[in-house]
Amino acid sequence: MSQVEQPLTIDEAYNQDNDRALKFLRPRFHEEKFPTIQILGYIGSLILTFGAYFLVMDHVLPPVSLLAVILALAVMQGALQIGVFMHVREGRGLAWQIVPLYLVFLIAMGMVGMSIWIMLFKSGVS
Amino acid sequence: MSLPLAEEQVQKLPLEFADEKESVNITGFWMFLVTDVLVFGSLFSTYAVMRHSYAMGPTADQLFKMGPVMLETLLLLTSSFTIGLGVFAMRKGQTRALMFWLLLTMLLGAGFVTTEIHDFVSFAAIGATWHTSAFLSAFDILVGTHGAHVTFGIFWALTLLLQLRKRGITARTARKIYTFSLYWHFLDIVWIFIFTFVYLNGKIV
Repeated sequence: MSQVEQPLTIDEAYNQDNDRALKFLRPRFHEEKFPTIQILGYIGSLILTFGAYFLVMDHVLPPVSLLAVILALAVMQGALQIGVFMHVREGRGLAWQIVPLYLVFLIAMGMVGMSIWIMLFKSGVS
Repeated sequence: MSLPLAEEQVQKLPLEFADEKESVNITGFWMFLVTDVLVFGSLFSTYAVMRHSYAMGPTADQLFKMGPVMLETLLLLTSSFTIGLGVFAMRKGQTRALMFWLLLTMLLGAGFVTTEIHDFVSFAAIGATWHTSAFLSAFDILVGTHGAHVTFGIFWALTLLLQLRKRGITARTARKIYTFSLYWHFLDIVWIFIFTFVYLNGKIV
């Protein structure tokens, strides 16, 4: 016989969760009196952007490592935007969007990285 | 995604999440952004493969002028900050402050698009169009798709401004502002990668 289940509150759901998967998706809301985190995020994004600009314009490193460094700065800034401005951990109940976000970044990096990799063998295809 | 919540937990949530249907809409908008990452991922892949195929046309180093690009970057970063302040004001229930930040975001976005169009026209004036080389085809479609997104966002913000004026901050308009801010920050992230991988990378020779 099927039985109608009582809906769980968030806290009950977390407490029942043995493998801690739900803890990873537990929502957190931004609640401050003054937009300190937004201002710090803005200053941080300016520093990262102009930092990358001056690194390139002053040719401080050899080309390949320079590209690696500015790409790392871009990834840091992307993470900053997602964490600070996009409130990625906000959600009603569980912040499910985090799962497909991880997945799509994996796919996108694979797509770009493997395209570059396969075209290194140009002599074989042209 | 929603779980059944006790009433006192719902009371603590911001408007756009307290309403169950609107909160599902926000999750749905995240799914749209995930697919948009794939669109830009494909365009970045194409650019990565084609970026040295100059076909007698100008090279990236010859073509790109960093002045307008830095201006565009500054405008877009600042607009990302102002819409962040807009959502902050919305959470405090300050309708007029929200409308001010939204309007400022639109103006900064319009400044970005204007600078970009000016840049593209100056390329066309020296014969560097998307017919010229595979590099320029990939460049125009990648940067152009981003610019089209920003342009669409400006008109979207305009409709939100009118709705705010008419209805104020409700669960529905709050969700629309929230998803617009997600969209706008997402475009900022895409621009950071265009700035790094297209423009700065073009200057590394």
